[in-house]
Amino acid sequence: VKLDLAKYRTLFLEEAGDHLAELSRALLELEKDAGSPEAIDAAFRMAHSIKGMAASLGYESIAEIAHRFEDRMARYRAAGRVDATGVGVLFQGLDGLERMIGRVRETGEAPPGSPELAAALAAPDAAEVPSSKKVRRRS
Amino acid sequence: MSRRVLVADDAAFMRQMIREIIEPEGFEVVGEATDGLEVVETFREVHPELVMLDIVMPKCSGIDALRRILAVDPSARVVMCSALGQESLVQEALQAGARGFIVKPFKPDAVVATLRQVAEKPDA
Repeated sequence: VKLDLAKYRTLFLEEAGDHLAELSRALLELEKDAGSPEAIDAAFRMAHSIKGMAASLGYESIAEIAHRFEDRMARYRAAGRVDATGVGVLFQGLDGLERMIGRVRETGEAPPGSPELAAALAAPDAAEVPSSKKVRRRS
Repeated sequence: MSRRVLVADDAAFMRQMIREIIEPEGFEVVGEATDGLEVVETFREVHPELVMLDIVMPKCSGIDALRRILAVDPSARVVMCSALGQESLVQEALQAGARGFIVKPFKPDAVVATLRQVAEKPDA
């Protein structure tokens, strides 16, 4: 089976644009209500969907960021709310995804990876860091 | 004769890709669903031989939709579509009665092989 990748790139750009808009709405909602289950679920699903489409087209850099975003949302889903500092990291993730998908729209090519953003999304929130690591001991 | 398949994924991209992969290989997509509730309703309407069901769906999760489909027809043959990093959900789906799973990004040969295997395996 030979798939027409140009056709799927167009479909990807259409759907990913819709997903980014829904992701943005979900994050704005989480800014107001950090425990909104609908917004947490929507953000998780949008990241999951972008990950699947990007991976199918070989856009590994986008899939990587979407994967980290999805994992972070899975943690928030388990916790039942987003940490206050976490919303900022999620907006960074959204900005990164918008930039990377914009690059595909402009060039038709996969964008370069963003290891710093991947690390930021994978990092635990301040509230999740064990207290012994938060306090710098003076000795 | 073509084997009748219901495809459930909220992304049109994925539904289109599945259709293009499986239809030349002896499968016919007889229905599409975009959320976990619609797939159960469509299952009741079209009585497919196979269901390809994304594990992450809006309104009702893929695993909940799987359980609802099996409540309608315990012999339903459902193949879950998952992504890397969702191994625990896949295990939960298999324990709940899914007959197989496919991991995204799709490898066309693996998709077709899994569907054939699930379609042809006799009921226990």
